Amino acid sequence: ALARPARGLAAHGETHFGFQTVSEEEKGEKVYQVFESVARKYDVMNDSMSLGIHRVWKDVLLHKMNPSPGTLLLDVAGGTGDIAFRFINYVRSVRERQLRRKLKHHQNLSWQEIADSYQEEAIKPLGDSQVVVCDINTEMLKVGRQKAEHLGYSEGLSWVVGNAEELPFGDEKFDVYTVAFGIRNVTHIDLALQEAYRVLKPGGRFLCLEFSQVTNPVLSRLYDLYSFQIIPVLGEIIAGDWKSYQYLVESIRRFPPQEEFKEMIEDAGFLKVDYQNLTSGIVAIHSGFKL
Amino acid sequence: RCRLCPPQRALRAAAALRRPSEEQRKEPAPSSSQHHFDSHPADEPPEQGTQDPWASYTGQDGQESEDSASEEQLQHRILAAALDFVPEHGWTAEAIAEGAKTLGLSAAAAGMFRSDGSELVLHFVSQCNTKLAELLEQEQKLVQLGETQKKTTDQFLRDALEARLRMLIPYIEKWPQAVSILLLPQNIPSSLSLLTSMIDDICHFAGDQSTDFNWYTRRAVLTGIYNTTELVMMQDSSPDFEDTWRFLENRVADAVNMDNTAKQVKSTGEALVQGLMGAAVTVSTAARARR
Repeated sequence: ALARPARGLAAHGETHFGFQTVSEEEKGEKVYQVFESVARKYDVMNDSMSLGIHRVWKDVLLHKMNPSPGTLLLDVAGGTGDIAFRFINYVRSVRERQLRRKLKHHQNLSWQEIADSYQEEAIKPLGDSQVVVCDINTEMLKVGRQKAEHLGYSEGLSWVVGNAEELPFGDEKFDVYTVAFGIRNVTHIDLALQEAYRVLKPGGRFLCLEFSQVTNPVLSRLYDLYSFQIIPVLGEIIAGDWKSYQYLVESIRRFPPQEEFKEMIEDAGFLKVDYQNLTSGIVAIHSGFKL
Repeated sequence: RCRLCPPQRALRAAAALRRPSEEQRKEPAPSSSQHHFDSHPADEPPEQGTQDPWASYTGQDGQESEDSASEEQLQHRILAAALDFVPEHGWTAEAIAEGAKTLGLSAAAAGMFRSDGSELVLHFVSQCNTKLAELLEQEQKLVQLGETQKKTTDQFLRDALEARLRMLIPYIEKWPQAVSILLLPQNIPSSLSLLTSMIDDICHFAGDQSTDFNWYTRRAVLTGIYNTTELVMMQDSSPDFEDTWRFLENRVADAVNMDNTAKQVKSTGEALVQGLMGAAVTVSTAARARR
């Protein structure tokens, strides 16, 4: 078993990398190396570590977002594109439903008008919705773009390299900002939250899907056992990389619990901040609005 | 955490938020809280301490309750703006998104509300009830000042119910959808309390001062009249809903008759009893005198 060190920082300019203490500059580099090495097996490892449940978590995130056609989404640390692809699917089906409902309402349409509506559906299947996937790691983005090609996603998708603490976008550009399982790897979480606030339009929504503190004590012990004994072993067998998965599991323990993270989000200026626990708190979705 | 945050947060607030709170500073908390279906205002009174919410830092609590009061306000403004889009989109999250857009906010702000449109319907019903109460109060003042004649009970009830039902006319096409939303199990406590408080208001202004079981009977009867008239109105296609008002007239007349009959029966019963008692005393006195 591993000793669990206190969450506080040792000294100025130092931070945690899993259970180690490193300087702030080093952390960024080390995280980069972790994701560079796991990039190709990232999706496979996600499935085996969470027994496929991560797909349900991401679906719940999209349902909570409930995006309407015309939404501009920024998915930060979105590397392999899971959230982006789900967003596109969601918006496409909402758009189809909208067009179908419009047709149903206008009972006495001429043939010309009906044909025109088909055209509209063909030209704008997403209704001007766009998603920008931003990640600091080019390897992860590469894997994401290959996946997109493979699955046939072409429209409404952009891939940008960028640092969550210093986003390469102008102010007030996006409707929704999501970060799924990425924010715990950021060196200065408060800077990332401030950047999120900056790039969101007024009325925009911040959504964060992240591992959090388990509420149930029995489940907590099982979860700890699973995390520290089984996941690194899986990492070694499937990805050939014990240490990266050791880091991943430790970084989960270092991330602040739900209430504390909620206060951090409020400090960045978001209002109506709330969180929803999934799977008894193994994962939590935090939501806030820029009002 | 940084103590400088509250005023910073205040400065960053969007113009949409700042404007209403400046108007609100002069007025006390809205008196519609008696019709309010949300438990939020009861928990956090907005009149704590500061008169000038954006200038000085008065304490975390004061700032937080100011924020929640202005969040409430903004939500009301979004819902009020969304009502314009109900004839087109129905009582849905899409209407709320369109409403948010007219206020200059992103459509993602509709995520603040539940995705089934319930809050929009409840907001509208609450608003109608408030308007009705104001109308009845004004009328009462005019009667007290002697400027208008006091109406008979059935005329008063007819006019009050007609005024309330006329508020539905702009949305009458989508009203069946609203009724179905109000009947959803999670909304029944709120919708029921709104209905009962509206009927209570009408009875109160009609001058009902009963302290016996009549209090319940009168309100139950009036609720029945309102609900049935609402249903008739939804499928009425006559010009200016004449059929509905005729139906209402008949129902109110029936109810008032029934009430009068009940009073008559009671007073007849009392008179009968008195008569019998008198006869018994006369007979016994006469019998004693003869002996």
